[in-house]
Amino acid sequence: MYVYRILLFLVLGGYLLSPLMMSGWASPGVAWYRPFVIWGVLIALTLWLEQKRKLDER
Amino acid sequence: MNASLAGMFALGTGFLLVLFLCALAVERGVIGTRITRHPVVYTLALGVYASAWAIYGSLELASTSGYGYLAYYLGVAGAFLLAPVLLVPIQRMTRTYQLASLSDLFAFRFRSRWVGTLITLISLLAVLPLLALQVQTMGDAIFLMTGAASPSLLALAFCAMIALFAMLFGTRQGRVDGHHDSLLAVIALSSLVKLVAMLGLGAFALFVVFDGPADLQAWLDGPGQAFQADVVQPDPAHWRTLLLLFFAAALLMPHIFHITFTETHSRYTLLQASWALPLFLLLMALPVPLILWAGQRLGAGDVLPSAYLAFGLSESLWMQSLAFIAGLAATSATMVLIALALSGMILNHVLLVAHPPEAQQDLYRWLLWLRRALVGAVVLGGWLFYRIVGVNHDLTTLALAAFVGMAQCLPGLLALLYWPGANRKGMIAGLVVGLLVWLLGLWGPLLTGLPPLVVIPPGLEAVAGEPEWYVITLVSLAGNALVFIVVSLATRTSEGERAAAEACSVDAVIRPKRLPLEAANGEEFKIHLARALGDEAAQREVGRALNDLGIGPLDGRPYALRRLRDRLQANLSGLMGPSVAQDIVDRYLPYREGSAGATEDIHYVESRLEAYRSRLTGLARELDGLRRYHRRTLTRLPVGLCAFGDDGELLMWNDALAALSGIEGASVIGARRDSLPAPWGELLGRILAESHSHLYKQPVTLEGGVRYLSLHKAELTGDDSEPGGMVILVEDHSEMKWLEDELVHAARLASIGQLAAGVAHEIGNPITGISSLAQNLRYDTEDPEILETAGQIQQLTDRVSRIVSSLVGFAHGGRHLGGQAFAPVSLAEITDEAIHLIHLARSGDDVVFENRCPAAPRVQGDAQRLLQVMVNLLGNARDASDPGNRVVIEASAEAAGLRVAVTDEGHGIDERVRDHLFEPFTTTKPPGQGTGLGLPLVYSIVAEHHGQIDIESPPPGRERGTRISLWLPLNPQEGETPR
Repeated sequence: MYVYRILLFLVLGGYLLSPLMMSGWASPGVAWYRPFVIWGVLIALTLWLEQKRKLDER
Repeated sequence: MNASLAGMFALGTGFLLVLFLCALAVERGVIGTRITRHPVVYTLALGVYASAWAIYGSLELASTSGYGYLAYYLGVAGAFLLAPVLLVPIQRMTRTYQLASLSDLFAFRFRSRWVGTLITLISLLAVLPLLALQVQTMGDAIFLMTGAASPSLLALAFCAMIALFAMLFGTRQGRVDGHHDSLLAVIALSSLVKLVAMLGLGAFALFVVFDGPADLQAWLDGPGQAFQADVVQPDPAHWRTLLLLFFAAALLMPHIFHITFTETHSRYTLLQASWALPLFLLLMALPVPLILWAGQRLGAGDVLPSAYLAFGLSESLWMQSLAFIAGLAATSATMVLIALALSGMILNHVLLVAHPPEAQQDLYRWLLWLRRALVGAVVLGGWLFYRIVGVNHDLTTLALAAFVGMAQCLPGLLALLYWPGANRKGMIAGLVVGLLVWLLGLWGPLLTGLPPLVVIPPGLEAVAGEPEWYVITLVSLAGNALVFIVVSLATRTSEGERAAAEACSVDAVIRPKRLPLEAANGEEFKIHLARALGDEAAQREVGRALNDLGIGPLDGRPYALRRLRDRLQANLSGLMGPSVAQDIVDRYLPYREGSAGATEDIHYVESRLEAYRSRLTGLARELDGLRRYHRRTLTRLPVGLCAFGDDGELLMWNDALAALSGIEGASVIGARRDSLPAPWGELLGRILAESHSHLYKQPVTLEGGVRYLSLHKAELTGDDSEPGGMVILVEDHSEMKWLEDELVHAARLASIGQLAAGVAHEIGNPITGISSLAQNLRYDTEDPEILETAGQIQQLTDRVSRIVSSLVGFAHGGRHLGGQAFAPVSLAEITDEAIHLIHLARSGDDVVFENRCPAAPRVQGDAQRLLQVMVNLLGNARDASDPGNRVVIEASAEAAGLRVAVTDEGHGIDERVRDHLFEPFTTTKPPGQGTGLGLPLVYSIVAEHHGQIDIESPPPGRERGTRISLWLPLNPQEGETPR
């Protein structure tokens, strides 16, 4: 259950901070795939939290 | 334009045919449920969110807003990241109450058919632009590839095929609450096709148009800058609003709701999708900028709208077909699901509410055809909207109009989950305000072409001059939420709404009341419901609900009947929507009138708490742990315990009582006291009616015979808010009662023993005298007859002496009187004598005794006491045997001794008493027929002879009977025993 709070924090934080990140993505010299790498890391984090949730509720 | 119209038709038809075949393969079982119910299939099916907008519209948005197009994907990914706190509670509700759509959910929560109808209306209006978008992309794609003058007609043909598919496979089971594996598989296949097509297009752009990632980066930093200059990155506020809209879409769009909640198989599947769906969307979003940049590099943007740049990547028919198939896969899946979801909503919340079914002849068929007609109507509506409105607008405008419309339900959904204080008046008022702003500001202008009518309220002046979609979103949602909150706070919430709010609230557990029903059992339910549904449907629905709950049709427990009523309401809700279901249940399955004073359904609350444990945190979890501890204490108490509510309903029946009574708690909890199986109803009624709190040693006939139970009761009185009732403890005092009886019997025996010892002493002297006189007589005569008579007198007096000695021995605690030497004894002779005595004691002809003991060897022992042993063993064997049975006595030499076995074919010895047979007063015989002293005496005599005794019941290799075997040493002085 405590994992859910981390998820809430993650999503709300991402929602508020995402415009800041986005402004940098379009700058010259920034790799075009950067947004997708960040997105992939978020998915990996969720997968990890999902595993933790299973342990937490066991 | 290198494809023919016929070729396009064949391509599209071929793809749809593959979908048909896939659905058929699932229905026929060629593709098993192991595959169709796999989380991967479910996640792919959720990919229906990526509609034609994701294939073409994203390109359009990316060309103007750069990475702003990602909002479409990240919004829904965010919603799924929050699956455990947002989606799982909704899934729980939809599964528990069989709610198949957003309208069902809202109508259930706010206990209002008007709310359901309003949500259906908003969904219909909001979804029309989205449907038009799907058809439009199809028409545009056909036009781009063929240059046909009237692509809309071909699009109509595809729409007809899609509608036919939805009618065949989506409504086949005739009810919306069942999972449609074929539908799920087809939607998943569509998602897979569009994913592969998009990745193929992306790979082509990256490795064929560009020469790999490095070349792409060089182009972006060089010539591509010119194209980037036209891109306007979304304002942070716009970006956040877009994210919010797409976040809401994941929860509210009818087709997404349908696939997420109605077709879900388990909580686990949904939680897996929390990371798998964002991964799918990542793969779908990745090719979008690649295709855009490749199209720009090739200069396709000059001849093609930016949405369709994928068609300009190559002149190859294969590549263009790939772009077309990606779009068709997305379009067909989206339209099928929207048509199915919306048809169910219109059926349940518009048609059935306006015309409730009145005992239809064939209810299921009637509903099925209504549903199919609605599916066709929805798809046709989408095509008409495209022809009238869609052609005049770009994809982004259509999509945003749809998403802003559906977002009007967001305040209601959040309140449903997290604000039990919200009520239907506030909900309707807020929705109407939001709907009006949206209709006047976005939807109306879309239809009429007139400028939007927006009234910017005080405080939001800053948004003037911003894009229309943004202004309308803010104004409509702000107005909606504000009015919702104010009206909810200012008006009264009904009792029904409060109960439904508790059922829906994330942190609440339902606390239903225990009210008795008019119907007395499942059979009566069928009769009552037949008036509403018709005989066949009533039989089927009640049968199904009984089956779901595992309750018998004649079970009359009030608790079971309440659960049956709830289940029926949930199942009917799945069939006809919650409003109609509630009307039917309230009208035809009413609670008994004048039933007051009902308390909360404690047992039900407990069962719900058990199920919700993983959702509890902090103090609630600690308290739940404490509750479990106390519950376990009561359940496992080694004394029988039951509790009754104020209304005489049984609330608890612990394990010890279940073991004593042989009645499982689950079968009686919720029953009334007087309907409990005999003798419990009468027995518990006796203590309840008693003015004292205790009843001692009440004789009760149970399965194992007569038991003596002591009962104690205590009142469960508490504060007004706490439930009352009575708790009863049931103690089994049978053993103590038997022990008391045996003690009385033993005291009587002891007094007889003392008397016998006195008599024996008094007899001893005259017997000695008689023996001496007989001896003297032998010296005084030579007459052989007199000598023989004197010898017989001496023998008989010896025998009387030994009997008297035994009697005295028994009276002295069964101890062997010392000073008597052991003599060689033939067990064959002893057995013969014992059989003779047994026959004397009773007719004994009904049991056959077979003495197979050999004459030799002999054992050293006391013949009289060994005779006593044999008489006891044979007597027991005879008592246990049925007429005609055989009792066999065998003997064989074994380890410096002799083993004698007495084997009967009787009923055997109960396992429970086998270990106590050698204890005094243990008997398997009916009261009055056995003292329980025979075998202890046998044990004592065998021990005197340094022997052993074993019992086998039944003997090895037999199904019944008992074998008692003795081992006696040939020479007891050595004291050897076999191993």
